[in-house]
Amino acid sequence: MSTTSVLSADLTSELPSLAEPAALSAERRVKVVRPPSFSLGDLAHGIVRLRDYSDLLWTLSVHRIKVRYKQSVLGLAWAVLQPLSLMLIYTLVFSVIARVPSGKTPYAVFAYAALLTWTFFSTAVVNATNALISHSHLVTKVYFPREILPLSYVFAALFDLAVASTVMIGLMLYYHVPLTIHVLWTVPVVAVLTAFVTGISLFFSATQVRFRDIGMAMPLLMQLWMFASPVVYPLEQVPVRFRAFYELNPMVGIVDGFRRAVVGGRSPDMRLLLLSTVVSVILLPLAYAYFKHVESTVADVI
Amino acid sequence: MAAKRKEVDLRFEQVSKRYVVRHERTADETSHPLLQKLRALRSRSEDFWAVRDVSFAVERGEVLGIIGHNGAGKSTILKLLSSITAPTQGQITINGRLSALIEVGSGFHPELSGRENIFLNGAILGMRRDEIAAKLDSIVDFAGVRQFLDTPVKRFSSGMYVRLGFAIAAHLDPDILLLDEVLAVGDAAFQEKCLRRIAELRASGKTIVFISHDLAAVERICGRVILMSKGEIVMSGDPAAVIREYQSHANESSPAPTSGKTNSPITSTTLTFQDGSGLRTAFRTGSPLVAHLDYQSDVRLDDVVCEILLYTADRAGKCELSTGTLGQSISIPAGRGAIVFSCEELGLHPGLYYADVAIRGRDEYEAIHVHHQAAMLRVDPGKVSRGEFYQPHSWRLEPPGPLG
Repeated sequence: MSTTSVLSADLTSELPSLAEPAALSAERRVKVVRPPSFSLGDLAHGIVRLRDYSDLLWTLSVHRIKVRYKQSVLGLAWAVLQPLSLMLIYTLVFSVIARVPSGKTPYAVFAYAALLTWTFFSTAVVNATNALISHSHLVTKVYFPREILPLSYVFAALFDLAVASTVMIGLMLYYHVPLTIHVLWTVPVVAVLTAFVTGISLFFSATQVRFRDIGMAMPLLMQLWMFASPVVYPLEQVPVRFRAFYELNPMVGIVDGFRRAVVGGRSPDMRLLLLSTVVSVILLPLAYAYFKHVESTVADVI
Repeated sequence: MAAKRKEVDLRFEQVSKRYVVRHERTADETSHPLLQKLRALRSRSEDFWAVRDVSFAVERGEVLGIIGHNGAGKSTILKLLSSITAPTQGQITINGRLSALIEVGSGFHPELSGRENIFLNGAILGMRRDEIAAKLDSIVDFAGVRQFLDTPVKRFSSGMYVRLGFAIAAHLDPDILLLDEVLAVGDAAFQEKCLRRIAELRASGKTIVFISHDLAAVERICGRVILMSKGEIVMSGDPAAVIREYQSHANESSPAPTSGKTNSPITSTTLTFQDGSGLRTAFRTGSPLVAHLDYQSDVRLDDVVCEILLYTADRAGKCELSTGTLGQSISIPAGRGAIVFSCEELGLHPGLYYADVAIRGRDEYEAIHVHHQAAMLRVDPGKVSRGEFYQPHSWRLEPPGPLG
């Protein structure tokens, strides 16, 4: 026995190139695949694997942004044009024609602040919902953590939010709306929003694989959801007797909180923001666990 | 110190994979679509076991080949190994970084440049950005697309597309590599390059699983071969022995996915290629080829034509062997029999070809029996000529006439 080991040691010293695979083998990760089961315990495992693929998530997110603007003449301007044109339309309809009150804030600024968060939400969710089925050619051929597909759309939409925010500054200067220290609240608000968007995106994209109805219903759902959130009207306009029910919508605290922080010069309504946070924190791991459960057989049914 | 044992990189333990096949009833015109949908939800579904109770282990540095007919479960094994789908039963253990080279180029985006696509595709295959950047030059040279690096890949020729896809995958540095019919791409020179690259990987001690119809390549690369049939392992061992077993039992094995008219009287066809001395899967341009088509028919078929179409992986038809080239038809007696086509000199240029078998009534479009990818044929360089194909010919030198 000892001779064998001496022999192999000699061989290794003669061939320096062999030392490298040996060093690599030390960090080999053993992966065990079993039949799918629904468990929250697998989440940690999923996150570890996702970290291994963080370069893919980055590359795909950049890719989304690049492809979108590659062949369009206006390029990046599209990130701004969508909320901007919606703002103009809503200003015309809800301020000039219907006279929705927006307090001391000019309606254009009032609407644009809300549309920033809303556009991020709807763009990310609508694109991410189709993420798996629009990449079926990849999903059935190559393995990578599937959540990267919807997540890349969330990140691309987050990038759009950053671009569109620059116009917000311009609008505030034009209308002489002062920026206060409360603007720092946008950081936690956007963080909660991103968590909520991610949860919804994971859930919808996984469900869409079996039930394409989700995709069909999406435009209608987004329309209803927007009018059920204080985007084009202030939260204060909602009749008090409906409030308790109305505030169950996590987007209420987020849209209103963001607007108060940016143009209202106030901190968000903590009760509402807390509700949105709690919903997001519960939703995200559940949606992720559900997504991972669907993932294990997604290539069979897509 | 315990006795030095070879480490096992891949282990299948009683793995089964079930697919559920839904039988959709023919649409009932009178009822509402929603009612039909609801009924479909309750409709009878049938289990199909693509892989059943399969156990095997692959040691570090081993090159395992998996062969079998279409539908034998090879691709499902590959999907299970690469985690594309999860097993229904059993357990799979993978020790190390695994990369699968299944269909190259599927992650390309047409609008992006060659360079951007290398990064995108590399990332999809599990490479890190710095890793890709370090290998970029080598990838570009392997694919031979340097001057097109900043051109959108939609302007690439199909050959460039495929070469770039394989070049990226060939630069993966996994512990375990899965290969599926990758050699069916590109021209002969590129295929040779790919085989050399695989040999390099094998020499550096990588564990490789190779799934292919190309028996010649399997025999050349693999140290051990598993033969699968109907989702189960039939035989495992020395490549030459298993391949011989596969070829000799080809006649009795279940027919691969066949189609044509339902309740076709032809219950099976098997296509093998031979030269003068016996069964072969590799031939040379200009050498003789015999195509042996064994069939089993329930009834006598009159006035039919039997065809073998040879085509490349990109589905470009290259040539046809047919009993009806002069417009005539034949009769096939009931029972087991064979139709033998002989070519004195094979005109195909080097490359990999698939063969489809079709039996149809004379002048009829719809075939009675079709057998897709009934066999695979590898052509190696033999007689060298330029152009699309080798035209068998002879020549002589005319003596110069008397000077006027």
